[in-house]
This record gives sequence, C-alpha cells and structure tokens, in this order.
Amino acid sequence: MTEFFASFWNIREQILSLLLDHIHLTILSVGIAVLIGIPVGILISHSPRLAQPVLGMTNIVQAIPSLAMLGFLIPYLGIGTAPAIFCVVIYSLLPIVKNTCIGLNNIDPDTLEAAKGIGMTQGQVMGRVQLPLALPVIMAGIRIAAVNAVGFVTIAAFIGAGGLGYLVYSGIQTSNTYLILSGAIPACILALVVDFVVGFLEKIVTPVNLINPTIDMNKEKVRRHKRKRWIVSAGALAVMAAIIIGSVAPINKAEGKVIHVGSKNFTEQLILGNIYADLIEDKTDIKVVRDLNLGSTDICYNALKSRHVDMYVEYTGTAYGSLLNQGSSTDKKHIYSTVKELMAKQGIEVLDPIGFNNSFVLAVRQDTADKYRLNNISDLEKASSQLIFSPTIEFNNRKDGITALYDAYNLKFKGTSPIEGGLGYTAIASKKCDVLTAYSTDGLLKTYQLKVLEDDKNALLSYYAIPMINESVLLEYPELKDVIDLMTGLLDDESMRNLNYLVDQEGQSPEDVALNFLKSKGLL
Amino acid sequence: MIRFENVTKAFKQNEVIKNLSFEIQDGEMVVLVGPSGCGKTTTLKMINKLTSPTSGRILIDDQDIAKLDTVKLRRRIGYVIQKTGLFPHMTVKDNIEIILQIEGIDAAKREHITSEMMRIVGMDPEAYLYRYPSQLSGGQLQRIGVARAFASDPKIVLMDEPFSALDPITRAQLQSELVGLQTRLKKTVVFVTHDMDEAIKIADRICILDGGRIVQYDTPENILKNPANEYISDFVGRKRIWNIPELIRVRDIMLINPVSCTRNTTLSECAELLGANEINALPVTDGENRLIGIVYGADLQKQSDRTGLVGEIMKTEFPTTAPEKNLLEILGFIRERQLDFVPVVDEENRLIGLITSKNLMTVLSQQFVDTEGER
Repeated sequence: MTEFFASFWNIREQILSLLLDHIHLTILSVGIAVLIGIPVGILISHSPRLAQPVLGMTNIVQAIPSLAMLGFLIPYLGIGTAPAIFCVVIYSLLPIVKNTCIGLNNIDPDTLEAAKGIGMTQGQVMGRVQLPLALPVIMAGIRIAAVNAVGFVTIAAFIGAGGLGYLVYSGIQTSNTYLILSGAIPACILALVVDFVVGFLEKIVTPVNLINPTIDMNKEKVRRHKRKRWIVSAGALAVMAAIIIGSVAPINKAEGKVIHVGSKNFTEQLILGNIYADLIEDKTDIKVVRDLNLGSTDICYNALKSRHVDMYVEYTGTAYGSLLNQGSSTDKKHIYSTVKELMAKQGIEVLDPIGFNNSFVLAVRQDTADKYRLNNISDLEKASSQLIFSPTIEFNNRKDGITALYDAYNLKFKGTSPIEGGLGYTAIASKKCDVLTAYSTDGLLKTYQLKVLEDDKNALLSYYAIPMINESVLLEYPELKDVIDLMTGLLDDESMRNLNYLVDQEGQSPEDVALNFLKSKGLL
Repeated sequence: MIRFENVTKAFKQNEVIKNLSFEIQDGEMVVLVGPSGCGKTTTLKMINKLTSPTSGRILIDDQDIAKLDTVKLRRRIGYVIQKTGLFPHMTVKDNIEIILQIEGIDAAKREHITSEMMRIVGMDPEAYLYRYPSQLSGGQLQRIGVARAFASDPKIVLMDEPFSALDPITRAQLQSELVGLQTRLKKTVVFVTHDMDEAIKIADRICILDGGRIVQYDTPENILKNPANEYISDFVGRKRIWNIPELIRVRDIMLINPVSCTRNTTLSECAELLGANEINALPVTDGENRLIGIVYGADLQKQSDRTGLVGEIMKTEFPTTAPEKNLLEILGFIRERQLDFVPVVDEENRLIGLITSKNLMTVLSQQFVDTEGER
C-alpha cells in the first residue's frame, strides 16, 4: 500500500496533468454531444418517421467497439484529440438524443395543445413548456453520457489523446499494477464526481415542484429559486462554451518546422520513439510532436499513411506479413527489400534497420520447461495437450502469427485464451496460462524469468526494427535522414531487452531510459 | 361576432364537419352539444385555428380568420380545456400571467391583473399565487384555467368540456359562477359539452350537433319544448324538462279554449255547464272575450231561483295568472291562495286559458307516468 502511494506520489504531476486532459476531453466531448444531441432529439420528437432510423443509428453506433471505431477514424481524423473527441461524442449521443426525444414525447398532449391554444409560438412552447418539462429526463441522459464519457476518454489514450487512460495502458503494457491504479483510481473518482456534478445541475435546473410536488413556496422562495436556476444554468453553459471555444483555437496547426513522431503502445516503442524525438530535437531545429503510445500497428500505420504521423518504428515481419499482405517468408533479406520497395510505392521511406530482431517467441515458466523438458517449440508438440496457450490478441489474428505457427508445428493446446500485452505475464506467473507469446526483446521475460523456446523450424517471421518515414517529410527536411541513421546498428537484441527491462522492471520512465541511452552512446 | 360559412372539415376521407353555417353573437354564451364524434370539439378548435377547415370560412367580426396571424388571433381568444392545460412546472401566478409575460407587460401590472383574476374566479391570491397545479384540487385547477383564459381580457373565450371531470357539486358551483362571470364581463363564450343538463343550465343558445351537422340551434327553452326532430327529443330526453320547471310555462299546461259564460247566461244554463265539464267555477267574459268575473259553483248552489242571470252573482274580485308564469310560480300561487281554479289572461285581460287543480295534477303526473306510451 505504502509502495503504491509512493509510486503515485512520484508521478503526481503527470497524473494531475493527465487528469486535467481527461476532464477537458470529457467536458468538451459531452458539451459537443449536448449541442448536437438536444437539437437532434428535438427534431426527431417532431417526426416519428425520422425518430426510428435516427435512434436505430445511434444504437448501432453504440454497439461498435470503441477500438474499431478509433481505427476506422484514423485515416479521416488522424490521431490525437480530434478522433478521440469525435468518438466520445458519437458514443455520448445516444443517451442524449434518446432521452431528449422521450422527454419531449412524454409531455401530456393536452398541456401542449393548451400552450398552442393560448397563443404561444412554436418556439415559446418549446422554450417555456416542453424543454422545462422534459429537462429532468434530458439531464438524466446527459448524466449517463457524461459518466460514460469519462470511461470512453480512457480509451482515447490509444490514439495519443492523453488522459488517464495513458497511465492505464502504460501500466498494462509494462505489467505495472501501480501505474494501472494510478490511472484507474483517479478515473473512477472523476466518474463519481462527474455523476455528482451533473446530478447537482440536474437538480438545480429542474423546476422545483417536479422534484418535490408538495413543496411550500412563497414569493421570495420562487424568486430565489428562479435566480439560482438562471445563475447555475448560465454558469454551466459559460464553462462549456469557454472550453469548446478554447479548444477550437489551438486546433490550428503550429507554424514552422514540425515533425510528428509516433510509436506503438509498448515499452520498446516508447523508448525508440523518445530516442528519435530527442535526437531530432537535439540535432535539428525541427520541432517534434510526440504522438507516442498509439493503440496498435494499424493505428500507427494508418496515421503514417494519412500523414498524421511522420515517422515511427515498424518491424520488417509485421510490415511484410501484416501491413503488405505478402504471406510468410523466412528470407530476411527478401523481406527487407520487399518491404522497402512496396512502402516506397506508398510514399513511405524505409530506412536501415536499427539492428535488433524483435520476433515472436513462445515462453513458458521454468517449472513447465523442467517438467516437460522444453527447449524449443518442437519439444512443445507432445506437451501441448496439457497446456493453456495465451497468445497476444494481435498474434492470434495474424497469418504470420498463429497460422504460421500451427502450420509448422503440430500443436494442440488444451485451451487458448488470447490476452493483451503485459497482462500475459501476470497470467502466466499466476499459472492462469502456461505458454505465452512474447517479443524476444521483452524486458519482462527477464523479470519473470521465463524460458524462451527457440523457433527451431524458422516458422515465424523475422522482425527487424526499421524506422519508417514519410517521403515528403524527408524531402522537406533532408537533414532528418542523417539523424535517423545515427541509430543504425546501434541496438542488438540484448541491449534492447536491457532498455526494456529498465522501464518494465526498474520502473524508470521511457523518457529517462531513452535520454540516458543516448548520453551513454555520446549522441547527445 | 363569430360566423361559420359553409365550413367543412375532413380528416382524410372522413368528413367530420359537413357544410356548417351559423353565427354566434357578441356577448352570447353558446353551448355546442352532442354525442362524442359529433364534431363539437373540432368546431371549437377551428375558431382558434388549432384545426383549420377543409373548405368554407370562419369570420370573427367579419374578418376571415384564415387571413389573420394565428398567434395574435389566439392571444385575443381565451382557451380552457378539460384537463385545464395548466403548465405543471409553473406556479399559479406564472400560469395565469404567461401570455402577459410573453407580451412584455410589466411586472406590477401583471401582478395586479393576476390578483384581480383570482378574485374573480373566487380564489384567494394570497394563499394560492405561489402554489403549483399539482397542489390544487380539480375545481381549483379549473378556476385557475378560467382565470388564465380571462387574464388577457379577450373578447372571446373557448371552453372545451372544462367541467366534465369534476364532481357534481363542484361542477354545479362552477357552472353557476361561470354564468355570473359571463353576465358581468359580457364575453362571447363558446362552450363545448356532452352534458345536456350543463348546456341547458348555462347556455343563451344551444347548438346541437350530430354527424357534423347542426340539428337545432336555439334557446334551451325552445329546444326543450319544440325539439326539431326525433333525434333531439331522444338526445334531450322527453322528461328532461321536468328537471327545469322554470322552463314550463302556464301557457304550456293550461286548458285552452275553456268554457265560459257571459253576464247574461242564466243560472240554470250555468249549472248545466259546470256539471257537464265537472268544474266548480266558470269564467265570465264580455263580448270581446275579456274576463269580467267568475261564477263559483258554491255561490250558485245558494240560489234557489235558477232563472236569474250570472251577472247577479258573479265575483269580480278574483285571482288570475299570466301565460308567461312558470310552473313553480303557479304552484306556489295556488298553494298560497288555496285555489283550485285560476283563469289565464293576456295583457288585455282576454281569457286564453284555465289552470285547474285537476289539470295541474294531470300535467305533473306526466313526469312519472307516461301518457303517450313512450319510455
């Protein structure tokens, strides 16, 4: 417990800044969702024919997994806050639209007819009668949307939007429970606070007798109640407007020389991302925007293709098998040259490999290895029916992953339960699974003292790290090539694993590890 | 004045109002009455353009309302509906003032009008201004509904079954108050109800609708006495009139063409007439049918000589009644004076009929015993 508080305290400034990001993203998204959702709700409450398809659509959108949605949005909106906000807005729309529509439709038709009959215009009926009466229901919808939004925003970290999700994912990637909690606990508290605040707003703006039908009012109380409602509503609107306006301004791209360095969401990628960012900042006058910790290969690649990210480090095998759909090959040279050639056709320049080969390996606990005498993957064939296999979700879906593995080896596991990133180590350590896919440079292999099984049939692709950069950026800033090439051949498997270990086990930050590495090599 | 000119209203293929033409005079309380589906509410809602006619015109003070601004028109017309249509989230004060607020009347003036309206409908402003509709009884809600309708001082007030959800006692009370209010404020009131008793009680004129047509448009009295057709007498109910004895006039129940004699009729002839008609008094008229006296059977009995003339024994001091007197008045009169025979005379003292105790008995028994064979 004290350890947790210590680690929490150490990163308090980061937590605070991520928390502020998180609050900002939440209010902004919900604000936009309210601005869109209420008018749409009003519109469809007037037209039942429109209501069906609109509500149907918001329902369907709600059912799309958020990661799929983010992946889908990158080509159009890029990475960072824009797609994250778009996504959260989309998810927040349903409860707001639906509740607005329901709230408006549930008003006694006689009341509405009376309002029209005594000479109110349509706008007056809406503003003075319908909306006030529907307000409790609408506010309940906003409350649901706001609390959900706090949750959705954590996912935004996947595409580099920041927020408390950053800590959660970093923690998951590095199997660091304290880091996960440092993100998760403030997120939970934020959800509760948001629930309370919106609940408070709901109570204030709702006409008093709709909450308490027997309330005893007099002239003074009515006056005070009306004034309070007015002040609070105006205040809430002002805060929302300020945040939305304040957010629109910085969207204008920064002037001058800028390069966006991306990375995937695991330790090695974070270290590499920081290394290149530091190098570029140090050696050139180009300003670096660090779009690190992006959710997955697809997200990075799409962001690169759509020019939202200018460079990131890919792996030859991933590019060959997965991004370019070239099937499988064990010829390292062929793979590299094919990738370089095909990427060039898409306007992406593949630079020289960094050196290490971060291929997939299978890992088991030492006791499992001893029991079944396991040294390579072929040894696993006999034992597999006794063991539970936990590949990463990505490995489980890749042709050059699970398919290639099963094609080469006769493996029949007792069960397969795919698991993401660092969680696999926790699972295998606690004997929830027995065989793990891991990356050969993974520092956690060292931490958990797992036995790495050799790919004796060369079934799996080689994964040499290669910097990929947009051709146009390279043309614009030719000085970049030399800077990036500084890293060529500088990191082998062993040294990469050590850097990863420093982050994953020693608890150093990827930024520090990158900086220290560059200093030790005399590059800074 | 509200005038309907050949107004037809169809919902899709279904004509609910068929070529309706009628007029409502200023200051008149007209009740539209009929069974459900007869088109009465539709007719009402066409006046404030909540529905618009399929064809035909509606004119208010000779202006075609189709050409008037809808919102402005509605603000000149008060509107009260059955479920009051009060806004549940507003205080009584805001409910009454809402249109005044929208029109930008200043607060002090609004407050004055609101308090005035509350007093007019019999509600204490002090106690109720800051209550909410959910805190009021049904009768109080309707009073506020009426107050709201009258607050902007409209010339016309439309009321759509405003009292039908109330208990009978409250309803009767509000009906009387409405009549009082209307007499005082002289609004043109169009009132829709399915309740014939209500219509008769409050209406200056009743417009009976059936199947989208006017079946009869007349005063309550005329409708009760001279139903235009079988449908109306069925709808009105043949015995309905007994609920309102004020509407039964001496003219309606008296014996007409009564036997009479002249001053020169001999007493023996007179005795014969009394005997033959089983009556115990006989009116005496002059040559122009003017009533000049009455011969009582009792006086005749005292005369041994039957050759004398009526003129010698007739009484010239006697009670008479006028044909416009109603049933209650004549009954009271007869009871008070212990009469069993009252001649009915017009303004020129001409004998036009007779009320006798026997004939009263026959009339009164009609409400319990059907004499004409109907239900």
